[in-house]
Amino acid sequence: MNTFLAALSLGTSRGAIFALVALGLVIVWRGAGIVNFAQMGQAMFSTYIASTLITNGYSYWLAFFAALLSGAVLGALLDIFIMRPLSNKKQSELLSSESMRAAVPVIASLGILGALQALAGIIWAAEERGFPSPAKQEGFTVAGTVLPFTSFDVFVVSIVTVALILTTLFFTKTGIGLAMRATALNQEVAKLSGIRTNRTRTISWAISGAASSLAGLLITPTSNLSPNTLDLVLIVGFTAAVVGGLDSPVGAVLGGFILGMVISFVTFYDTPEDVFLAILAVLLAVLIIRPRGILGSKDARRV
Amino acid sequence: MRAVSNLKVKSIARTSLIRTLIFTALILLIGAQFDAYNQAQLAVVLILFIGVLSITLLTGISGQLSLGQGALMAVGGYSTALLITNYTLSLWVAVPLSIISSAIAGLLLGVAAARLRGPYLAGTTLVIALAIPTIANRFMSVFKGDEGLQVDVGYPPQWFSTVFGEPTYEQWQLYVALPFAGVALFFASNILLSRTGRMWRSIRDNESAASLAGVNFSRQKIYVFILSSTFAGLSGALYGLRGLVGPSVYPVSLSLLLLTAAVLGGIRSITGAFIGTVIVVFLPDWIELILGNFELSEQVSNFLPALISSLLLILTVVINPAGVAGARLHKHK
Repeated sequence: MNTFLAALSLGTSRGAIFALVALGLVIVWRGAGIVNFAQMGQAMFSTYIASTLITNGYSYWLAFFAALLSGAVLGALLDIFIMRPLSNKKQSELLSSESMRAAVPVIASLGILGALQALAGIIWAAEERGFPSPAKQEGFTVAGTVLPFTSFDVFVVSIVTVALILTTLFFTKTGIGLAMRATALNQEVAKLSGIRTNRTRTISWAISGAASSLAGLLITPTSNLSPNTLDLVLIVGFTAAVVGGLDSPVGAVLGGFILGMVISFVTFYDTPEDVFLAILAVLLAVLIIRPRGILGSKDARRV
Repeated sequence: MRAVSNLKVKSIARTSLIRTLIFTALILLIGAQFDAYNQAQLAVVLILFIGVLSITLLTGISGQLSLGQGALMAVGGYSTALLITNYTLSLWVAVPLSIISSAIAGLLLGVAAARLRGPYLAGTTLVIALAIPTIANRFMSVFKGDEGLQVDVGYPPQWFSTVFGEPTYEQWQLYVALPFAGVALFFASNILLSRTGRMWRSIRDNESAASLAGVNFSRQKIYVFILSSTFAGLSGALYGLRGLVGPSVYPVSLSLLLLTAAVLGGIRSITGAFIGTVIVVFLPDWIELILGNFELSEQVSNFLPALISSLLLILTVVINPAGVAGARLHKHK
């Protein structure tokens, strides 16, 4: 029973973080039609910025918001300087085929990932370092027994909930958010109705950058920070996004929690070594049974 | 390429054979000039060239992006290592046999991949690249976990030394890799020039049009995956024979290195595959040559090659997606 509760609580707090990662991927997919494999590289970079601020004596919360801001700025810059020129180059011979149009942005994002990891290695060295958490990582004690739920887990779940509510409000209540949804629905029509699609693309990169930086800040206290620790988080986030449906934000959150539970229960009831095989099994099962994901729309697999 | 693709079967084979012979002669000539270190590096170039060709065929010719070639290389590497250590086979028997297992892996992957496109395929193969090496730790008794299996190219047979003189270990590494690279080049060239190559290019350019022209694209995609996997498996088998077969030898970054090489050189051409491989293998040496006079800390020099190759990759896709060998392709368009 105790193992079950422990698995459930780990699954919830990890699931919340994976939900954020998946949401970041979904936002860029809807806004730009690209799966951004560099996303957790961006997150790693801004987490290192936070870590540097903290070691230089600044408060956790200053570093926290600095990381979110730098994540957003970096995301916007990557879109403006790399992805936008790339999408305007569709006329060239190599990009004339549909399959290569889908492949080239993926290759570019892998290049970005490699460059960010190498740069982080040059600036901050490759050794793992710890990252502080603002809340205690010991379980609550009730009547002498230690519960598997820590105040850090509470912190993670509540921060993620706030972030999800803010994102939902942004997409449903603000003009820019509505413009972004229109662009996601049909880029040509959005352009014709006067929406500056280049700008909405950049904003979706910025929001996704901030969301994944938040995920980076929340996962590193339990896993340490090094230039490629977050690669695994990206894989889980991608799987979560596919499980939920690449074009569905609600699906991304759902997928995040499903993956969190799967990983947590495999870790507790089987061995941690099987985690990747479990992720692969979940991914293949979804792709074979329901390729568009649980909440994805029918034409989600546009390429 | 397209201008010559109407050639008859016989002259296609002759063209490929001539290419292969020129390639082999050039490598032998250049290898003779090199010192021991660069001979070993040249052997690595030949080995990875086979792996890069697997991406040229899969992505450049048939338009499917896979980030899991490293995992297929691991299949080839482990098969060879197990055949050599458990059955004491010679590498000349073990390497060709191990290609069968990577072809089977390619068949399984191809069946799954034929249903996937674009980012879905890329992401799934990336998960596979991460998941497969963990099997080594799952079945410790067979695969020996992180420690891995130790294999190497051994020593040349007696007759070889009597005929050609005693080669050094580095030379022998080169001589082992060369025939395999030659065979791979011959097959790749043949396919690119033949009807099959045309069929695969038609799938890449437009699936619906290919299907209307009578190409069963789902089946052809599986064939491409099988062929690409045999190339990756062969490359992985030889890569392991450099000393160790283990999870650390076939990391995800190896898959990305191969992709970088393929894109830098020109993802649609065999020449491009070779140029790209030379660039990624020798880049660290060139950087040291240029920056050797500056006092660089180890931290910087360790990551500089990765940084520069990543930046080159980004610049290539943004400025000239056809790669170094791309100019020739435009001419034939």
